[in-house]
Amino acid sequence: MHELAIAQSIVDVVETRATECNAARVKSVRLQIGEASGVVADSLSFCFEMLTSFDPVLAGAQLSIDVMPHRARCRHCATEFAITDFVARCPTCDEWTNEILSGTELQILDMEFDAS
Amino acid sequence: MPPSRYPVWVSVLSILGARFTSFAPPLLRSGVVAKVSIAQHILAANEVVAEEIRQMLTQRGIRTINVMSSPGAGKTTLLEKTIERLQGKLGIGVIDGDIETTADADRIEAAGAADAIQINTRGACHLEAHMVRAALSEIDLSHVGLLFIENIGNLVCPSSWDLGEDTRVVVVSTSEGDDKPAKYPHMFATSQVMIVNKLDLLPYVDYDLEKVKEHALTINPHLRIFEVSCRTGAGLDAWCEWLMAFARGNAEVARKIVQEV
Repeated sequence: MHELAIAQSIVDVVETRATECNAARVKSVRLQIGEASGVVADSLSFCFEMLTSFDPVLAGAQLSIDVMPHRARCRHCATEFAITDFVARCPTCDEWTNEILSGTELQILDMEFDAS
Repeated sequence: MPPSRYPVWVSVLSILGARFTSFAPPLLRSGVVAKVSIAQHILAANEVVAEEIRQMLTQRGIRTINVMSSPGAGKTTLLEKTIERLQGKLGIGVIDGDIETTADADRIEAAGAADAIQINTRGACHLEAHMVRAALSEIDLSHVGLLFIENIGNLVCPSSWDLGEDTRVVVVSTSEGDDKPAKYPHMFATSQVMIVNKLDLLPYVDYDLEKVKEHALTINPHLRIFEVSCRTGAGLDAWCEWLMAFARGNAEVARKIVQEV
């Protein structure tokens, strides 16, 4: 259930930004969540809705989540591949050393709001 | 889409208004939807506090370990036995996270820790950096060289929060099933050390130790593994030697000890 704490962190950041921008109403918030970040997108959306429902500025704001695939590039043969179940072995040369390209993101990208 | 309060021609004007704001009637200006970049890590606030903790502890020459496991794997017992064995060699402090009770901190203090403090999260399933910062303001660190932060028993949530530690240790035990690394990969991917506890129960449980190690190493090839029984003391010498080296910050020695195990 740590999605609730993650959602609270998002609400804190968005509230601060909304105040800075004099937003009357936040319409949408866009996130980037990595497949391997340990966060379940559906639970996060549910918690976000629950936390924002009574907030005059944030109520009704849509949370859109870009789920980022867990991918890596092999340091030996430069093959780029999808990591399944955290097993990051290169399918071409069987080597384990690689550079993670995506999948660990926990990022707030931007938000849309009605200006006041 | 909610129904608009304005007729279509007003919407068109409003779009024009967004492009040529100087022409927009005052009424419509307020209806303009603006987009603003945030580009921030969701847990940035936690990361800032964690970094503050790391710097403070590093400056004081204290090395810190975040200990995580499912409930009942033996975190507190491992710490008790570790403190007993390192008595007089290394000052150990413990920040003990639990949802309720001070039972664990009491046990740790009785085992001879330099100081121990309990954090009660009152329901929260993991520790966050601000809780550790608050505990640090109360704990006496004057005789501490190695600080353990015992996280809430949970293999999911604690792995997402940086507490300012230098390293992460995950404890699993033979009584809880051999599918833990496969089921909770994020925990094993983000830890540096895995301890398999309750080795003495191996003859009585269907626990495939080799499978556990193989799964864990598949998820994290750099994981250091210790096999111990806190009940019989088996394997604790190697763990404590590694801790001594780790506390001295001597990565070279620590690596050698792991290879010998």
